Amino acid sequence: MKRESPNIERTQARLLVAPAVIVLLGVAVYPIVAAIWLSLHRMILVFHEQRFVGLSNYLFLIHDARFWTALGNTAYFAVVAVAVELVLGLGFALLLNAAVPGRGLLRASVLVPWAIPTVVSAKLWAWLYNPDYGLITRMLPLGDVNWLGMPGWAMHAAILVDVWKTTPFVALLLLAGLQTIPGDLYKAAEVDGAGKLRAFWSITLPLLKPTIAVTLIFRTLDAFRVFDAVYVLTEGGPANTTETLSIYAYKTLMRSGDFGYGSTLAVATFLCVMAISLVYVKVLGREAGLG
Amino acid sequence: MRRRRALEALAALGTSALVGACNTGAGPAGEGTRPPGKLRLVFKHQPLWGDPAPFRALLAEFERDNPDVQVVTEPLPNASDVVHQFFLTALEGGARDFDVFVVDVVWVPEFARAGWLADLSATFAPSALREQFLPGAAEAVVYEGKTWAVPWYVDVGVLYYRSDLFPEPPRTQADLERMAAGAVAAGQVKHGYVWQGRQYEGLICNAYEAIWGHGGSTMKDGRLLLDTPEARAGLDWLRKLLEARISPPSVTSMAEEEARRVFQEGNAAFMRNWPYAYAEAQREGSPIRGKVGMVALPSLDGQPGSGALGGYQLALNAHTPSWRREAVTKLITHLTSEKANEVLAVSYGRNPPARHPYAAERVIADAPLVARLLPIVERARPRPVSPYYPMISDTLQGEFSAAVSGIRTPAEALARAQRLVDHVMGAG
Repeated sequence: MKRESPNIERTQARLLVAPAVIVLLGVAVYPIVAAIWLSLHRMILVFHEQRFVGLSNYLFLIHDARFWTALGNTAYFAVVAVAVELVLGLGFALLLNAAVPGRGLLRASVLVPWAIPTVVSAKLWAWLYNPDYGLITRMLPLGDVNWLGMPGWAMHAAILVDVWKTTPFVALLLLAGLQTIPGDLYKAAEVDGAGKLRAFWSITLPLLKPTIAVTLIFRTLDAFRVFDAVYVLTEGGPANTTETLSIYAYKTLMRSGDFGYGSTLAVATFLCVMAISLVYVKVLGREAGLG
Repeated sequence: MRRRRALEALAALGTSALVGACNTGAGPAGEGTRPPGKLRLVFKHQPLWGDPAPFRALLAEFERDNPDVQVVTEPLPNASDVVHQFFLTALEGGARDFDVFVVDVVWVPEFARAGWLADLSATFAPSALREQFLPGAAEAVVYEGKTWAVPWYVDVGVLYYRSDLFPEPPRTQADLERMAAGAVAAGQVKHGYVWQGRQYEGLICNAYEAIWGHGGSTMKDGRLLLDTPEARAGLDWLRKLLEARISPPSVTSMAEEEARRVFQEGNAAFMRNWPYAYAEAQREGSPIRGKVGMVALPSLDGQPGSGALGGYQLALNAHTPSWRREAVTKLITHLTSEKANEVLAVSYGRNPPARHPYAAERVIADAPLVARLLPIVERARPRPVSPYYPMISDTLQGEFSAAVSGIRTPAEALARAQRLVDHVMGAG
């Protein structure tokens, strides 16, 4: 088919896309480039000092034990939290998908933890964990456990808060996936004599795979940048055992005012998130419709 | 999240560049003339706790003497690191929505160097300050020969004990351990000794007090002294308190208020805290009303130990335009007067930064414990004095927390802290 004036059409298309491109450049590309640029400087806010130092911040980063601890904490948090959320979320999604009376109300009420602002729910949990007055300490026969003050416990306490908050979100995404599976398939399976478990393994799970892939990507990237819940609960303590990359970067940037090294940490976090995204796209890309 | 931070950073940078550009011009930013009507001054401070009426009366008195001025108070959070962060972003961003604000003793060198505090030397000359105020309080507000703030009240770490359980307070750390263990064994209290072990600024005060109590010093020739036998002994002691269950495990997540609640409900024999907790403990309805004593922290040889110097100074926002400054300076003068010192002492248990009010009749009669605190206040010692303090504090918080929660031995934690702090200070 012959077009009348392809040049004009192309110009028009570019003009139409231009606003979106400009916004993206402004809010996404520019800050990233600026952060990378800052990370090449020694820059401390209160001293009004800015000096180009090349890659020396990155050299310091490689030998910074606190950075590696924070990276380990972040990875542990992300893996454990997302795995638990996925399993629990799938269970909830199956329950919510079943035809039970009052399903609408049930679906709405499951979303309550997700709807509460993270800072509010984290504060609430901090009180639940309080060793002297907390409900959890009273109810569990664990004795003198100081959830948020003992190394090892604090990280898991934070993971529990994230699981409580985010499982509904995972369940909702998976529920949407479940509803796209045609009911006929289950009927046919029933005719063929397949049990409930068999139907789950052979129909539900394979057909849900794309949704699971999308959920995994969403949640892992989110969990890797975790900040608010952990910050409110412990501020990274005790002894930085719950300090995630975002918290370390935040403290360096906003508390110490060290914008050079703080930006280096932010860029490192960004690179980690990019790497995870690339791996996901490569491994799960086709499932998630991203490939 | 990351992007937003980067944007915030950029926004802060952008504004600072703009403010900087304005400042190179004729005068301070926002120069102008005073608009007609009442002048509304905004005073940002942390909660004083207790009955708000006496403090309101103090402000009302200023408004009566200056009918064209209205004073508005805006509360800040209680945790000093959160407040620090608020000022870091607000002042670097050129905030002009508050005129007078409180600064912690450890912030003065940093804020003054950043150019966020107006020079008050004209009204409060350093030499006059040294005469009026206690040495520690006066030194805290003078940086490079100029006055950047005026002492409002001083704080000092003290030891609280239950006077109904013990006829005499402990003088040495060994006394404290023995008495605490005895009270717990006898079922008189649930816990022996509560203090602030959460990873935050308060832990640094607690740790330095333990270090000083074991004969340690803070700095020598501009270098922090961390990897020393005295410092190791101090942190070893804090760790031992937890291991021996003289202090409950919850101490590692306690800040001031958490500790105060436990003590005030009668659940602990001893508490390390600031003097503010006294007025609260003696309030009507408090389970330990009339059963509380407040003394110097223990030491090795039984001499009164040193508490960390804390407390707040009043500063004038450098971004406040000059036509407001006269009224602001008057307000600072009013709030730091000896009479104001007395009100804060009597109604809120805050320690006057000057020597005179300790001898005032009203203070001796209505706040006898404050009056008796003078020797402890005089012995108070500052945390490291350096414009690098925020970075030093960030490092020390992590390492001290590792030592008290048992992740690293105190020796390892102190060696690490020494290395990191030397790096921060040496790099400048």
